Amino acid sequence: MTSRAPGSSPKHSPRAATVRRRGGGAPALFLAPFLLLFAAVMLVPIGYAVYLSLFTEHSSGLGFGGTETVFTGFGNYARALGDAAYRAGFLTIIQYCLLYLPVMLGLSLLVALLLDSALARAKRFFQLALFLPHAVPGIIAALIWTYLYTPGISPVVEALNSAGAHLDLLGHPVPAVVNMAVWEWTGYNMVIFYAALQAIPREVLEAALMDGAGPLRTALSVKVPLIRASVTMVAMFTVIGSLQLFTEPMVLYRNAPAVVSSWTPNMYAYTAAFDHNDYGLAAASSVLLALAAAALSFVVTRATRGRSERRAEATA
Amino acid sequence: MSPRPAYLSKAVVNGALLLFTLYTLLPLGWLVTAAAKNTPDLLGGNTLTPANVHLGQNLHDLATTDGGIYFHWYLNSLLYAGGGALLCAFVCVCAGYAFEVYQFRGKEKLFGLVLLGVLVPTTALALPMYLVASKVGLVNTFWAVLLPSLVNPFGVYLARVFCAGYVPGEVLEAARMDGAGELRTFWSIGLKMVMPGFVTVFLFQFTAIWNNFFLPLVMLTDSKLFPVSLGLYSWNTLTRSEPTFYPLVVTGSLLAVVPLVVAFVSLQRHWKAGLTAGSVK
Amino acid sequence: MSTTPTTARPRRAHLAAAATAGVLALSLVAACGSGSSGDTGASSGPVTITFWGWAKGTQDVVNAFNASHQDVHVDFQQIPSGVAGGYAKISDAAKAHNAPDLFNVEYAALPDFVSQGAVQDITKLVPASLKDKYLPQAVELTTLAKKSWGLPLDAAPQALFYRKDLFAQAGITTPPKTWDEYRADAQKLKQAVPNTRIGTFLPDDPSTLEALAWQNDAHWFTGIGDTWSVDINSPETKRVTDYWQQLIADDLVRVQPSFSQQWTASLQKGETAGYVGAAWGGGVLKSTLASSPDAAGKWAVAPIPTWDGKPASGMLGGTTFAVSKDSKKAQAAVEFATWATTTPEGIQARIASGTSSLFPADPDLVPTAKAAFKTDFYGGQDIYSVFVDAAKAIRPDWQWGPAMSVTNNAMKDAFSKLTSGGTVGAAVDASQQATLAELRNRGLKVSR
Repeated sequence: MTSRAPGSSPKHSPRAATVRRRGGGAPALFLAPFLLLFAAVMLVPIGYAVYLSLFTEHSSGLGFGGTETVFTGFGNYARALGDAAYRAGFLTIIQYCLLYLPVMLGLSLLVALLLDSALARAKRFFQLALFLPHAVPGIIAALIWTYLYTPGISPVVEALNSAGAHLDLLGHPVPAVVNMAVWEWTGYNMVIFYAALQAIPREVLEAALMDGAGPLRTALSVKVPLIRASVTMVAMFTVIGSLQLFTEPMVLYRNAPAVVSSWTPNMYAYTAAFDHNDYGLAAASSVLLALAAAALSFVVTRATRGRSERRAEATA
Repeated sequence: MSPRPAYLSKAVVNGALLLFTLYTLLPLGWLVTAAAKNTPDLLGGNTLTPANVHLGQNLHDLATTDGGIYFHWYLNSLLYAGGGALLCAFVCVCAGYAFEVYQFRGKEKLFGLVLLGVLVPTTALALPMYLVASKVGLVNTFWAVLLPSLVNPFGVYLARVFCAGYVPGEVLEAARMDGAGELRTFWSIGLKMVMPGFVTVFLFQFTAIWNNFFLPLVMLTDSKLFPVSLGLYSWNTLTRSEPTFYPLVVTGSLLAVVPLVVAFVSLQRHWKAGLTAGSVK
Repeated sequence: MSTTPTTARPRRAHLAAAATAGVLALSLVAACGSGSSGDTGASSGPVTITFWGWAKGTQDVVNAFNASHQDVHVDFQQIPSGVAGGYAKISDAAKAHNAPDLFNVEYAALPDFVSQGAVQDITKLVPASLKDKYLPQAVELTTLAKKSWGLPLDAAPQALFYRKDLFAQAGITTPPKTWDEYRADAQKLKQAVPNTRIGTFLPDDPSTLEALAWQNDAHWFTGIGDTWSVDINSPETKRVTDYWQQLIADDLVRVQPSFSQQWTASLQKGETAGYVGAAWGGGVLKSTLASSPDAAGKWAVAPIPTWDGKPASGMLGGTTFAVSKDSKKAQAAVEFATWATTTPEGIQARIASGTSSLFPADPDLVPTAKAAFKTDFYGGQDIYSVFVDAAKAIRPDWQWGPAMSVTNNAMKDAFSKLTSGGTVGAAVDASQQATLAELRNRGLKVSR
């Protein structure tokens, strides 16, 4: 359910703006279903998670006399943050992002630029073929790649072995998961970049041509800067998506011992809730994760907005 | 025209694109050939060949194992994804229409809140959602998966963009002059004109629900309610003691990919429109 | 919410009204949802109990029971095995008060479920005459704080499974009796067949290591009065971990997750020639290799090697029937569980399905099990006689801790570092620390 979208309100066509109206109760009626559901599946769970995160279960003696729920304040938060395994989960995400972001962004930009060049043929076919992995559910993508990673089972590893290259991705889960994600998302983001490139006014490109810029120079110093907004936006949604990493490592978990039960913050919360029955800890670690995501998107939006405003001032 | 460097020839550009296409299509090719293999071939690595076809046997096993539960899951997925996406698209278009067409107090603030919802990690929410659902007794029911699937803040954003582009104010104004009520205007004019947007939101939400794994994983325990993604996962855990499930999981995966591939191939215009709306500001 | 709002009421009131309607709709849905499950059925006719399990052949046992009983009807649902999500499922259901009347749980997980308050005390329903039927070691594991919490289905004495032909190829004529011999044989095998190893260290499965520590007289958990003594990284355990660490370091065993694609593939290809398992492994190994025709008849079972050559065993797994806390039909549930664990019909139905080679916790039923299990995969060997001796040698007084999921996850997570400088010994240290922290956090009394 990772939808990626820009974080700003759309431009309104002037036509619509002239006839915007109050409409009595109509807007409330049209908005009610969405807002109700929005509250029920987003606001209420967040609130309830915050509430639950303040309690813990206690027993006494050997522990066979049942449990009671006691208020613990920020005890669960302290426990999560004090747990090296939880912190290691964030470290995994950072490593993952450091590898995934440049590779995926670079590849999708490159492919979009290639497609946008006058030389590319069969553009529709390429767009579709490159986008297709996105139609594969994450769980199935992970299953397929696990087969393709496993020595003795994978024809790819076999072929590499006979070529003298030894690939042990099961022992290196970060690149293993990065590859799955690159496969799933590069085509998707490529289509976004390609659309942005297509929207660049022809006059700008012609001007660059007049200045004597070659295709490579045009791509790097004219086209890429012009779609910077799209790139930043994709980068932000990629980072937020990365924080949620769960499905792919969960499938790898059984086949790659290097993936531990708390490999990502999400897996930590899942293990706490469903393996250890520690709902307080699970709630606290989920809340912390959501806070991290919120803080991150706030910082990124502020940074990019600041920059584009500065740019707007400079051009004005 | 300035001279073109040699590394930018037609052959190199298309060659690079082909190479990358090979990377994206190879795993899918593997899925197609592997779906026809039996356990020893799967675990022996004889997968990328057209030989040793047991597809008929695998499909038969798929249809009969556990009383044909796989196709039950398939049906569930169609129901969750089809019904969920249909309702979600409707809810989103309603909201997007309201945001675009009407003027009311606090509108942009409210829209900002909705956009903030796009940023909240949905999997981080799944667990809290489970806790709420277990409080109100919704855990392990059809609704536990369906209700959360109806909300997509990004869909509201898309719907608003589409309303801005496809629903001319004059037409609405004319309808109002004719004495049509707000609801009627929406139903008979707005909704029809924004249909392309509706289909786009539907397509994206269908994919999201079809692919969703974490939410059903936490919500459902009764295998009769599983969507196909969770069913395949549960079978994949069974392979631990019963390797006969390996081919079932692979063949089942192939069938589970088919509807989405068909949808994306036949509705190219719509997903491209959706992604374009996301890219051009 | 289908009426059109026409008046100019303040918008906020609208929203509030709509919200109320929505909440009402939600709770209606909720009522429908919860009503459908856990229905008690009519008062006349047989008592219907719900039962969750995953052990092999369970469906056959339930069918046989339902066919021969009019008073109780069992409604069985197959769930994923415990660690693969089954336990999570049971605890969730227990929390939401819709757990089945009866469920299967392994010995190791029973204390966890009892301390969560998910299990019913069935002491009153378990007469001494019933208890006497089971192996005392199994009864011990279902008795916590002097109360009965479950009926044991199987004991899981350890055993060594090996490929006769590959051992012969390496000049090994009799299977190893001691761990020293096991190591020597591992070397011989690697020399003779360089691509083949004698066995596997399973980094995803602490239970094998636990059974090996148990075999060496370790006692990880001891409840003394109302206080736990936790002794996971004791010298007895360390002897076992050091031994396996050395096997791994010398590349004499593989490191592969249990029943993973790699492991299954390497068994099928003859690249792994042995398996340190338990009685139930006989059936599992057989079905794991069912699709590789050349494996049949080549496997054999031997007593598990020991440190001093005298028979000794731990228990690797093993399952019980527990009644859920909220069940109002404990009596019927216990009736079915008793039938399934102590009657020849119950054991016969399970094993005749062809996939289970469990060792009944009621030793009188071993002949039934033996007669029902087809041993052509093991060249017709009388594998149950190996299990009988091993069962007698199961060391008494082992106790499982009240937070085994934490104990095991900590160990499993530390095993993940085996390929990057971690050791098996460090993993039990990590587990000791994590377990102590968890018990203290739960408010339990811990002496060390």
